[in-house]
Amino acid sequence: MLTSWLIWLQNLEPFSDLRSSAYVYPVVLALHLSAISLFGAMIVATDLRLLGWALRDGSIADVIGRLRWPKRIGFLLAATCGFLLFSSKAEEYYYNSFFRTKILLLILVAIHALVFRRSVYGDPAELDRAPESPARAKVAAGLSLFLWLGILCCGRYIGYVEGRAGMHFK
Amino acid sequence: MLIENPLSTSPGAFPVLECLHIAGFALSIGITALVDFRLLGFGLRTQTPAQIARAFEWWALGGLIVAVFSGLLIFSTDPDMYYLNWSFLIKMACLILAIAFNYTIHRRALSGGLSPAAGRLVACISLVLWVSVIFGGVFIAVVRPGLA
Repeated sequence: MLTSWLIWLQNLEPFSDLRSSAYVYPVVLALHLSAISLFGAMIVATDLRLLGWALRDGSIADVIGRLRWPKRIGFLLAATCGFLLFSSKAEEYYYNSFFRTKILLLILVAIHALVFRRSVYGDPAELDRAPESPARAKVAAGLSLFLWLGILCCGRYIGYVEGRAGMHFK
Repeated sequence: MLIENPLSTSPGAFPVLECLHIAGFALSIGITALVDFRLLGFGLRTQTPAQIARAFEWWALGGLIVAVFSGLLIFSTDPDMYYLNWSFLIKMACLILAIAFNYTIHRRALSGGLSPAAGRLVACISLVLWVSVIFGGVFIAVVRPGLA
């Protein structure tokens, strides 16, 4: 069921064209990496502020608030390019264990956001009332750095798994 | 060969180096982009561009050092292939330009030595140079080998 949908997806004209193009595919990959740089630095900036390791003269609420929309845009860019890379070889990615681990880590990122929404990200002004960044904020920041670094490494390792024979490419 | 490069004989080393390379350049280029977007009027607007640059100065430099040293090790596994590759040479030219630009004109824009319009131009040039380095790196594996 899922695989038949993936085969349908990868054989849609724009995605099969992307698969066979010598130059568009690497351009999308380079854009993916550029978006990762931008998005990753905003994640690091937010987490370093939560840990109290950088920008301590500014408030936590200010950093989180000002980077909220830029981070969303950065993630959307990286995810769109990532989806394009996936869609051209959807079936092969589906069997790739590093791709599966990457998706699992992305789901953990979503759970992380839900878990810490109330205590950290939703009300950062509360964090600024304490003289030192509270432990829960530091835990959230540490986990975030750990998860995103894992996602980055899994992304690179996807390319090291040999594709299976018998993919349904048209 | 007189001495075998241990990186070429252990298959696990190369992807680890690549992960370090990506993490390093993502950190340094991303932080520079945060400063550049601030020069353009976006992002951390409570701080001045100079304050953002100073706050993350050591993180950006640390990322650059990790990226350069992992890159040198990656280069060492197949030097002939790299220096006879157009994309690699263009990447190195952009990298040297980007670093030189960062510590000269870019730094002057941060210290307030330029008009806001010139600051925006400097930010755009910086972004284009650093993104060119990323494109140059990806295309090493795409372009035809050799300089002919």
